[in-house]
Amino acid sequence: MTLLISAWTIGLILSLLALGVYISYRVFAFPDITADGSITFGAAVAAAMLTRGMNPFAASGAAFLAGTLAGACTGVLHTRFRINQLLSGILVMTALYSINLHVMGQSNLPLLSARTLTTYAERIGRRLSGGDTAVLLGWPVSARELGSLLLIAAVVLLVAIAAYLFFRTNLGSAMRASGDNAQMIRALGVSVENMIILGLAISNGLIAFAGALLAQYQGFADVQMGIGMVVWGLASVIIGRALVGSDSLGSALTGTIMGSVLFRLIIAVALRWGLNPNDLKLVTAIFVFGALVLPMALGVRTSRPRPSGRPRPDGLIAR
Amino acid sequence: MLQLRNLTKTFFPNTPNEVRALQGVTLDIEEGSFVIVIGTNGSGKSTLLNAAAGTFPLDAGTITLAGRDVTKWPEHRRAAMIGRVFQNPFSGTAPNMTVAENLALAARRGQPRGLGSLLPAKLHSELRDRVATLNMQLETRMNNPIGTLSGGQRQALTLLMATWRRPDLLLLDEHTAALDPKSADQIVRLTQRIVSQHHLTTLMVTHSMQQAATLGTRIVMMNQGRVMADIAGPDRRRIRAEDLVHRFEEIRRDEQLDVSAAEMLREMYV
Repeated sequence: MTLLISAWTIGLILSLLALGVYISYRVFAFPDITADGSITFGAAVAAAMLTRGMNPFAASGAAFLAGTLAGACTGVLHTRFRINQLLSGILVMTALYSINLHVMGQSNLPLLSARTLTTYAERIGRRLSGGDTAVLLGWPVSARELGSLLLIAAVVLLVAIAAYLFFRTNLGSAMRASGDNAQMIRALGVSVENMIILGLAISNGLIAFAGALLAQYQGFADVQMGIGMVVWGLASVIIGRALVGSDSLGSALTGTIMGSVLFRLIIAVALRWGLNPNDLKLVTAIFVFGALVLPMALGVRTSRPRPSGRPRPDGLIAR
Repeated sequence: MLQLRNLTKTFFPNTPNEVRALQGVTLDIEEGSFVIVIGTNGSGKSTLLNAAAGTFPLDAGTITLAGRDVTKWPEHRRAAMIGRVFQNPFSGTAPNMTVAENLALAARRGQPRGLGSLLPAKLHSELRDRVATLNMQLETRMNNPIGTLSGGQRQALTLLMATWRRPDLLLLDEHTAALDPKSADQIVRLTQRIVSQHHLTTLMVTHSMQQAATLGTRIVMMNQGRVMADIAGPDRRRIRAEDLVHRFEEIRRDEQLDVSAAEMLREMYV
């Protein structure tokens, strides 16, 4: 049971990463690899602040801001210096590796003695269960796990609602339109370049925030923790799309969160059944490859029919 | 209203693909005039429109719009003063967003976009009422993605979007060329209605001599990046589609003469 609860919690934390990837990849069709660096950046900033005894909320907020900075860098490299999308992300991601080492001062920063959001979560869990362990559906669960799950679920709900509302404002809609038809929205007076920079900033802010939460949940930040995270986010977005089968804003956001949790559960079960943890990234990559290629190989439409209009790129595959 | 001075633009300079698209075009377009731009393929007429819209930086020349020098303004900044409809019906609308969302985006053309709601109920009903005036039954499809509509329907909506806030200048780039004859006819009539209703200063590129002869108050004929003829006033009222076709044939004959003369010289001297 603890395994399942933990998978849910991590799945929800990483759903913030998936929402970030949704913004860059689905809204802007921008394959943004910065995520691999910015999730670690968020974890590093939060961990460095927490070990100095700073407030966990401030540390998590600072992680978000650090992520926006990284995303904005990628956006500027692409729009102002006209560097290819993938390469812009790679440059910032690579630079972040060194920056993360500097921020943390070492390659792995444990948070066991620091006061983190998990400390608060544990307090919530204790209050609810009245002891060290709660009983959930007949299974014993530690108060810490229960509290973490509830806290994370509340945070993800808030972020999802905020994202939904944002994308229905004037600014958020202009952002969606920039990804949908740049020529049109430029003719309506919007700087597509600024929209990309802002969009990537928000995207990477969310991803870094996910990193901060992940570090606090697992009790350490590690400079390697971001490797392969973009692919993880892509897998979540793709599963989410398949789950809800609709492109409307609300279902897309819900689907992305569901996709992240479901994917984490699948992985947890697979590990339980004896999948070698070393093969995790390989399996994830093969999964995303399959999800990108299969629909095309089978000649099946992955989205609802579009009788006219520019089809949105469903994969990273050039046509 | 719009002053174009000595506009010059060469694409891919100093390469085998060099195109001298504009070679010193000067035009003065008065407030409220409806100018039709015609010309052969590659004559520079679309480039002229794009230069006014700010799609690319000019090599030389200045553009003044409503008394302001906009030569250095980027495209999105000029958009505050300019409404545009493109040749490709897909270019003017965001296919995955709804009809209402597309119109609402256009309703804020050139204005700051903050965290206010895109589609307040009042704007939504206002948009629906205006869409109903198109008589295309689109008011029932306000919440459908605009990509599910036909090219003609999308072009009609783009026209509505471009003129929702009254633009100082309306640019129409062969906006009926990609449509079937019936839809094209519908769009031409809609264009006429909107332009005269709001007294819009309009620059319209077309391939159709029929449209050129029946629409507008002035005809500008382009060839090889230059203005070949500028027909306004009584001349404009007398002109028929056949006259325009005839003029084009003259140009073509002249060009052919050039080509054959060059051929002859080459045979004699090379």
